[in-house]
Amino acid sequence: MTDASIDSPMMAAARAEPPVTDIVPSKGLFDLDLGAVWRYRELLLVLVMRDIRVLYKQAALGASWAVIQPLFAVAIFTVVFGYFAHMPSDGIPYPIFAFAAVLPWTYFAEATRRASTGLVDDAELVRKVYFPRLIMPVAKVLGPLVDFCIAFGILLIMMVIFNVPPTWKLLAVPPLILVATLLAFSIGLWLGPINVRFRDIKHTLPFMIQIWMYASPIVYPLSMIPDQFKLLYSLNPMVGVIEGFRWAVFDRGNPDFLVTAISATVIIVLLLGGLVFFKRMERSFADLI
Amino acid sequence: MSQDIAISARNLGKRYKRNARIDKHDSLRDVLQESVGALLRGGKAGKSSYETFWALEDANFDIRRGENVGIVGLNGAGKSTLLKVLSRITTPTTGSARITGRLGALLEVGTGFHQELTGRENTFLYGAILGMGRKEVESKFDAIVDFAEIGEFIDMPVKRYSSGMYVRLAFAVAAHLDPDILLLDEVLAVGDFAFQRKCMNFARQLEQKGSTILFVSHNMFSIKTMCERVIYLKRGRVVYDGPTDEGLKLYENDSRLQDAPWFQDDSAKASMAITDVKLLDENGKEAGVFDFGSRMKVRIHYRAFRPIEKPDFRVGINRSDEIHCSTFSTVADKVDIPMVQGEGMIELRTPPIQLVSDLYTATISVRERSYGRLLCAQIGGSFHVRHPVYASNAFGVYHESGEWRVPQPEQLSQTVETADGLR
Repeated sequence: MTDASIDSPMMAAARAEPPVTDIVPSKGLFDLDLGAVWRYRELLLVLVMRDIRVLYKQAALGASWAVIQPLFAVAIFTVVFGYFAHMPSDGIPYPIFAFAAVLPWTYFAEATRRASTGLVDDAELVRKVYFPRLIMPVAKVLGPLVDFCIAFGILLIMMVIFNVPPTWKLLAVPPLILVATLLAFSIGLWLGPINVRFRDIKHTLPFMIQIWMYASPIVYPLSMIPDQFKLLYSLNPMVGVIEGFRWAVFDRGNPDFLVTAISATVIIVLLLGGLVFFKRMERSFADLI
Repeated sequence: MSQDIAISARNLGKRYKRNARIDKHDSLRDVLQESVGALLRGGKAGKSSYETFWALEDANFDIRRGENVGIVGLNGAGKSTLLKVLSRITTPTTGSARITGRLGALLEVGTGFHQELTGRENTFLYGAILGMGRKEVESKFDAIVDFAEIGEFIDMPVKRYSSGMYVRLAFAVAAHLDPDILLLDEVLAVGDFAFQRKCMNFARQLEQKGSTILFVSHNMFSIKTMCERVIYLKRGRVVYDGPTDEGLKLYENDSRLQDAPWFQDDSAKASMAITDVKLLDENGKEAGVFDFGSRMKVRIHYRAFRPIEKPDFRVGINRSDEIHCSTFSTVADKVDIPMVQGEGMIELRTPPIQLVSDLYTATISVRERSYGRLLCAQIGGSFHVRHPVYASNAFGVYHESGEWRVPQPEQLSQTVETADGLR
């Protein structure tokens, strides 16, 4: 099973060097074996495809949910915050101001949710089949990217409607969404194993994501945050991602390098710590799940 | 030398927390309560409240390339734990194992099948889960569909499949995994008669190719036919490792008397116990195989700790797939037993056995006649019924000859053809 290479059936017995697998109790703290994820890339891909297929197979409206969900959120925000509360939007029409932020946020929220509950949702697999457990959160954050791409098409259409000319800065969107992917993955590394042990995560996660959303500049602009709180505020790595999106779409201002650096540091710490934590916990997944 | 060894295990052990598997709803609240409680008591939090046990302990064995080894043991003896450790689903607590070769583990047929996806999509999904690459599945796809005998249903969601089709497709994918080493957990007995024959052929093919097979089963027949060596596990330990015949004899001896899992034993006030059960043929010799149509004697030794009035002795027969086939009862057969006390023996002589060829277990229970309260229950050994044709897959639970009115001579040739058409 360590060897994912393809051999012709008849050659199996005659193969020169059969793969050797050593099974030993506990590995060192930093033995991450990230290569295993690569060796199991076929399974990773299949799991991503399964999630995408299954999600839309039974829904009558199918993949249009990827568009309806963010549009609906934007419609509510526009009415409540834009129309009733007269929330400032840095002079940009409120609907597209909100949509440029809801877009990465919807992806991030969904990826975080799935990465955190994926192990339990696929408990049957974890119990009965060996695979590097790390591919589970990886697969779960990749799946919602499809929704993101569809919704991004809507953003382009809205840019035409609201007369926002595209610039070369739109090229910053892929690296920005990669940052959101890494962040969702890192959080999944922490919450996934905890969810295996305590199913409470599944119930608390919606609140956490909701609170996090209001702690991010989605319905309001970053400029509303008083300067003395800005550094504290930017400990939330999604601030950088969302502001980056607005910068890429509306071509306003310049990215704050300090904010970006803080966000990056937070993500790296979460990621590395999460990898060690996940690898430490994964030994007991099959026993606890 | 090490080239010839496919699996080698040294001091392999796995310890579980007893609560870990039972308390599935291991909620944060419980743990908080526990740790707060432990703090108040001044003890250490956590560990102290968990009881641990060794599901597998100090297992040592070498399995040579091309060897087929059966693993036997009662429920909870550690068979599945061993397979899980060897397939890396769970890590061992102690010891180590070395696997030389590509390993395929089939602990359950169809793990990961998704109801919403079509047979085709599931074939690729399941193939990848079992460790096959996309190209490998592609090249074997036609053979898989062919083996599964599901034809055009391959593009239908598997939720519309019959359970037979579902299992056949899953098994067909697994059968094309083509590993050097295969771990099988009680999965060969799927599908109907014809398909089972196919499965056995597949196992034999693997054998000829030189694959190593590690095979957990309760079906002694398939172990006898497939394996030259058995490892017998008892409470997590290897108690026997050697030639099949001897090992199975040991195992069958041990499993002759065990608690029935559904019996609540409050042994403090147990009023009765079954001390021995023997299955005998008509000549009074102990036997494990009975020919269809022969009679069986079940000799039950018991001890009643207090006088029991009008007890109802029952012998239930269960097939290996847990189908309850029949029950003999002294009350139903209008046998009057006024009272039992102390040690004693009772013997049942069955009518000619009409059960089809399969593995059965006899369960002995004694009830109080007046209240129907269960006094004791014990699983009292297993036996095979032998018949060349009557098997459960085609003939159901029992077989009795019926009377037929046959067609007229001129129609006869036609009918013979149809009869041939049946498998």
